Amino acid sequence: MTQPIDVVEMFKQAAFEVDNRRLPELKAETVIATLGMDSVAVMELVSYFEEKLGVRIPDEELSRIRTVKDLRDAIAKLLPDRQFAA
Amino acid sequence: MNFVVPALNALAGVRERGFTFTGTGDDRFVSFDDLRALTRKRAAHYQALGLKRGDRVAIVEPSGEQFIPAFLGAMWIGLIPVPLYPPLSLGKLDAFMDALVTILNVARPRALVTSERVAKVLWSAVGRIPSIERVVTTEELAADPAGELPPAADLRPDEIAFLQFTSGSTALPKGVMVTHGSLAANCKAIVVDGLHVSVNDKAVSWLPMYHDMGLIGLVIAPICYGISTIYIPTLSFIKNATSWLEAIHKHRGTMSFAPNFAYALVTKRAKPEQIARWDLSQMRVFGCGAEPINPDTMRAFVEKFAPAGLKPTALLPAYGMAEATLAIAFLALDEPLRTDRIDASRYHADHKAAPGGSLEIVDCGRTFPGHEISIQDDDGRLLPDRHVGEICWRGPSVAAGYWENPEATRETFRGGWLHTGDLGYLVDGEVYVSGRIKDILIVNGRNYYPQRLEWLVDEIPGVRKGSAVVFTRPGAASEEIVVAAETRTDDPSALRATIVSRVNEEFQLAVSDVALVPPGALPKTSSGKLQRRKTRDQYLRGTLGKEGRGGNARLAVAKHFALSLVGRAQHQARVLFKRLGGIS
Repeated sequence: MTQPIDVVEMFKQAAFEVDNRRLPELKAETVIATLGMDSVAVMELVSYFEEKLGVRIPDEELSRIRTVKDLRDAIAKLLPDRQFAA
Repeated sequence: MNFVVPALNALAGVRERGFTFTGTGDDRFVSFDDLRALTRKRAAHYQALGLKRGDRVAIVEPSGEQFIPAFLGAMWIGLIPVPLYPPLSLGKLDAFMDALVTILNVARPRALVTSERVAKVLWSAVGRIPSIERVVTTEELAADPAGELPPAADLRPDEIAFLQFTSGSTALPKGVMVTHGSLAANCKAIVVDGLHVSVNDKAVSWLPMYHDMGLIGLVIAPICYGISTIYIPTLSFIKNATSWLEAIHKHRGTMSFAPNFAYALVTKRAKPEQIARWDLSQMRVFGCGAEPINPDTMRAFVEKFAPAGLKPTALLPAYGMAEATLAIAFLALDEPLRTDRIDASRYHADHKAAPGGSLEIVDCGRTFPGHEISIQDDDGRLLPDRHVGEICWRGPSVAAGYWENPEATRETFRGGWLHTGDLGYLVDGEVYVSGRIKDILIVNGRNYYPQRLEWLVDEIPGVRKGSAVVFTRPGAASEEIVVAAETRTDDPSALRATIVSRVNEEFQLAVSDVALVPPGALPKTSSGKLQRRKTRDQYLRGTLGKEGRGGNARLAVAKHFALSLVGRAQHQARVLFKRLGGIS
């Protein structure tokens, strides 16, 4: 049985690795644009998820992703067989 | 001079050179002969749709492989393509759509070309653009057309080749009219005069194709002179900056161009393992333009990649903008980075660039044969060497003006010169670009250039890199200097003191207030570019750091520039990038 994917935790880890940021308060509802990361750092962060999970989020989906939960939903669509943490 | 449509036509039969598209799966090579055929196919579709010479066609297509023939196909029969950035950044869809609608209601295209997948995102905007009669997908354009393939149109040099919309305000987007003549002249200047290119050269580009440096410098110019080019999707570069140098290594690239921020990013991201493996010794040209060039970034890049064989002379500072078609000046090929150190106080007080001092300005080289640079004062008088004024330019590469905007055209293209809005000076014909006119801070009758102060503040430990914004507030006797910056420091009063004393040391300038806010609190565009005016407005209203936290306010503030690496460049280079103009 594989572990459920915890996108919020992964996001925190990614923000630290990509942008040296600690985001203890991060929630699924957090709007990514309010984190103060510049757009290149945000894209690098998306890339972190893609590499770790072996998926590629279609380019045109990106503009619909506002919150961490939106990101989780976009990834969940690509990995229908995996469980996701709430 | 090679005009783009006849040049492409003349590439019939050229199968050993062409464009290579990398990034998703296997590399795909499209020879120039194939590209010509793909272009004619698209042209046939456009013709079948009833589109006529002079009609505008908007193109929103993130894939370079699809974009290029769709763009060339329109030019093939004299349509006017309007390339636009695709919606590629995170969660900026509403702002993107608003910008798209505003631009296209100025350009009034009859057709919108986009991919099936992007069309699904754009449908709601299309209803707000009355001129659009048809949405055509690039998938449809790829199908075999019925009927004959049209011959290349016989285009006059003064006919518009395409419209290049510059960032600027969303309220009044300005579409630069690039003509076939200005395009041919500038491509010749870049390829022949500036870079001495041969058919053995290989260019590498991750630049977006909706922007002049990527589109003209690395798509159209290569077609005009039959130069093989390797493309990396912009998003692949943004997600992983090292893919740029990896592609140069793998394909034995000899030329590439990018804004300052890209050099900073790749210097930061490259791993020792990669540097040990890469061979960059064949690179002749690492062009740097589209934003102010930070000499520290350039030196760090050269130093970091020297072990991979990078030659210091490969670095090529460039200056240009969309209104110039693209390029205004390049540093000479055999020169390493050159900077001029000048006296900051004389620069600010007398508008003179006196040698010897702490202010470092990058040499962007000379303009091209047949073109001329002058430095002018406010009254249009030509200034001598080492006098700071507006950089003006004339010659066959100057664009024809702004689309249906005679007022803006008169203001920028006047007296026979393109008025760049940039400040700079000349020394023996070499141009030094030092700032933007409208950003000038005037304190006690002296002019200061906010970027210079911001660069300094950005370097102070505790200041979040790239977050400093400098502006003025009305004071008792004169304008006063205010510094705003983002920080996580535990000791804000110590940081304030450091900022005040560093600025004072370097510029002999008193900082009247330092506004420190948490990371992310300063207003930025959707692309991450700091907004100096907005920061000032919020500061004066007393709401700085209190607006746009946690919600839509920031997005509402955010204008367009989807992914806008170029827009973002301004912020990143952790510098201010000059206007989104071209190499600008």
